[in-house]
Amino acid sequence: MTRYVVRRLAQSAAVLAGVSILVFAVIHLVPGDPIRVALGTRFDQATYDALLERSGLDQPLVTQYFSWLGSAVRGDLGVSFRTGQPVTEVILERLPATASLAVAAILVALLIAVPLGTVSALRPRTVVDWFATVASQAGISVPDFWMGIMFILIFAGTLGWLPTGGYVGLTDDPVEWARRLIMPAVTIGVVSGSIMTRFVRSSVLEALGQEHVQAARAKGMRARDVLTWHVLRNALIPLVTVGGIQLAYLLSGVVVIEIVFRWPGLGQLALQAVQQRDYPVLQGAVLLFAVVFLVVNLVVDLLYARLDPRIAYT
Amino acid sequence: MASNRRGMAVAAASTALVLAACGGGEGVDVDGDAEPGTEAPESPEGGTLIAGISSQPDQLDPHVTTAYASFQILENVYDTLVAPDPEGTFEPSLAESWQTSDDGLTWTFTLREGVTFHDGSEFDSADVVYSLERMTGEESSVAWRFATVESIDAPDERTVEITLTDPTPNLLDNIGGYKGMSILPEGAAEDLDLTTEANGTGPFTLDSFSASGATLSAFADHWAGAPTVDGVEFQFTTESAAALTALRTGEIHWTDNVPPQDVQNLEGDQDVEVGIAPSIDYWYLALNQAQEPWDDVDARRGVAFGLDRESITEATQFGAATVNQTAIPADSFWGHDYAPYGYDPEQARELLDSAGVAEGQTLGIMVVTDTEGVQAAQVMQANLAEAGIEVEIQQEESATWLDRQGEGDFDAFMWSWIGNLDPFGFYHAQHVCDGTFNFQGYCNEEVDALLEQAAAETDQDARKALYDQAAEMIVDDASYIYLYNPDVVQAWVPGLSGYEVRPDRAINFEQVVLPE
Repeated sequence: MTRYVVRRLAQSAAVLAGVSILVFAVIHLVPGDPIRVALGTRFDQATYDALLERSGLDQPLVTQYFSWLGSAVRGDLGVSFRTGQPVTEVILERLPATASLAVAAILVALLIAVPLGTVSALRPRTVVDWFATVASQAGISVPDFWMGIMFILIFAGTLGWLPTGGYVGLTDDPVEWARRLIMPAVTIGVVSGSIMTRFVRSSVLEALGQEHVQAARAKGMRARDVLTWHVLRNALIPLVTVGGIQLAYLLSGVVVIEIVFRWPGLGQLALQAVQQRDYPVLQGAVLLFAVVFLVVNLVVDLLYARLDPRIAYT
Repeated sequence: MASNRRGMAVAAASTALVLAACGGGEGVDVDGDAEPGTEAPESPEGGTLIAGISSQPDQLDPHVTTAYASFQILENVYDTLVAPDPEGTFEPSLAESWQTSDDGLTWTFTLREGVTFHDGSEFDSADVVYSLERMTGEESSVAWRFATVESIDAPDERTVEITLTDPTPNLLDNIGGYKGMSILPEGAAEDLDLTTEANGTGPFTLDSFSASGATLSAFADHWAGAPTVDGVEFQFTTESAAALTALRTGEIHWTDNVPPQDVQNLEGDQDVEVGIAPSIDYWYLALNQAQEPWDDVDARRGVAFGLDRESITEATQFGAATVNQTAIPADSFWGHDYAPYGYDPEQARELLDSAGVAEGQTLGIMVVTDTEGVQAAQVMQANLAEAGIEVEIQQEESATWLDRQGEGDFDAFMWSWIGNLDPFGFYHAQHVCDGTFNFQGYCNEEVDALLEQAAAETDQDARKALYDQAAEMIVDDASYIYLYNPDVVQAWVPGLSGYEVRPDRAINFEQVVLPE
């Protein structure tokens, strides 16, 4: 187990190095000059030259990459071209907002997916199943930004129950934090939950058909216990896989929802970094997203063994 | 400062500008009791104004940023030596008065007394010298404004002398057109992280700035008197439906995120008050004169006759704009009423024929994605098809767009200059042969001579006559094909008073009184 984790971490380091080279190459290939974007149309050549030198963009690409890498392994991701602020600081400022939203959205998604998927698997081809299928199809199909705006118009506008958006830190004001979290979390949770409902339904159906479930029923075990101990437990593995991917995806920020709900998350940061060609910030953000994916995947893999003792890592 | 409402992150820093005697805003409710800059209101009304601005500032160093969103905040935090009033006339601010030497090469500014910075330190001439020198520094985005400045000296605590290499009648615009030329205390760049902190002399102090917003508090010791509100909170409301809902529910009091297509509906809405003022911004089309066939003036004039400005304005601004064939509105001081191009596809075709432009000639119009340029280009495509020109619309995001513009890699582009106060700012570098923003490659020696002469003419009326003459030639040669001046549209909650929509898009909240 320990050996497995060590090996996975070593692999992760290699993946990160690859990601960093790829991102570095791609952002430099895309047209657009960061200094020109910062200065607009009107500037002195001397100003341009000074900013170019300060940013290091006048150096050869390979030199730029290695000097970035050299600092990055020491935990220094450089400073934003645009503001001169350390990239780690810029990212850390956004992390609580993104983490709050991702975790809350996954909870909403699970609250939707597990009951709905299970019920519809238990009553296949009934009205209940039909309703669950239509609902999850709708949740996947409706554009999330539209749903977000509708929620704002209804719950903030007409009913006036919730604020239209904005973010307040959990430690600053827990009540406001929660009130502002509800609409964006539900919007994303409905979409993620709809996707996960389909997985829950099919894995529960599959588990129901297995021999040990039939045996448990045959020996007279209570239906609820069969469901809890034999069906859901087995259905959890695919759910953990899909849920993990969804969580990692949400931790990378959800640009459109962040814009609609004025949420100062990582998605908007990455989008602005692309628009402004702020290479250090973009590079830092993408690196963080890669780390999140690797860590979440590792945790998911370790959870498999926990959920199913037959799986062992060596 | 490009308006982000149109999604131009660019700053065309261009922008900035200045002055033009435009008419004031309509639908504006200005608190008549408190004349700005003269007396403090006796009893501050209090409360915190919450303003939803349509994009997020990149940073708050006034000498570095070029983003309009940053200046919406900075406008309330810093002061400049002089500042334009809503009509564009320069008024005293931190400088109480100024004199120009007979040769026009020395400007002497007498500074206001009793001004303090937010940290309590006293303002004097050393702060002005420090700030102006910082603006001329290499990493300053406003350095180009100081091209004719030879030296900046402080003979005593209350006096600052600016010595020039050439007469610069637009100096006031260059040092006070907008808050890019803010005065900071001496040593501010070493003492503070100016990207997120501020120490100015303006009506509000900056308490915090983050990705969630910015918080300002009233500065009781402001030289013009304490603001009426206790503070201002800026939120970044980039999605307009959400911004307008927030306004209706009273969550925010003011926003500039009002899409032109919503204006008519909002005007009948009891929960929202809309303020509209004609702006001193302009949108234009520029053809690449380094390329055939657009190097031929008849070809360019053909395109100018082939455009239906009314339809373009309707499509982009839903009527919230004024068509114009010169740069700025005719009723502003520098405006010049000159409109030789009526929409006429037949005349367009004749001119194109005489320039040897065949039917079916293609013309790529480069526009920035998500701006009104896209709608405008669609109308131009239909217009010019009638004159036998096949328009290809090329949408680029702003970073790529700027690259192509800089490299001359385009047939034509559509763009805007905003906040045009002094004609030096919106004619010179755009139209002289080696002008730094002359991306279209225009060169007419006569225009150069007129613009050079106007740049140094100290008599305002004589100067205006020179610019009018140059403007006609620029229009006749179709160096730029000017299209329209958009309106400034903002909205606030009913009952809010003491706020005025300005043609230069500066937003000032110190006189605002919130509804009961």
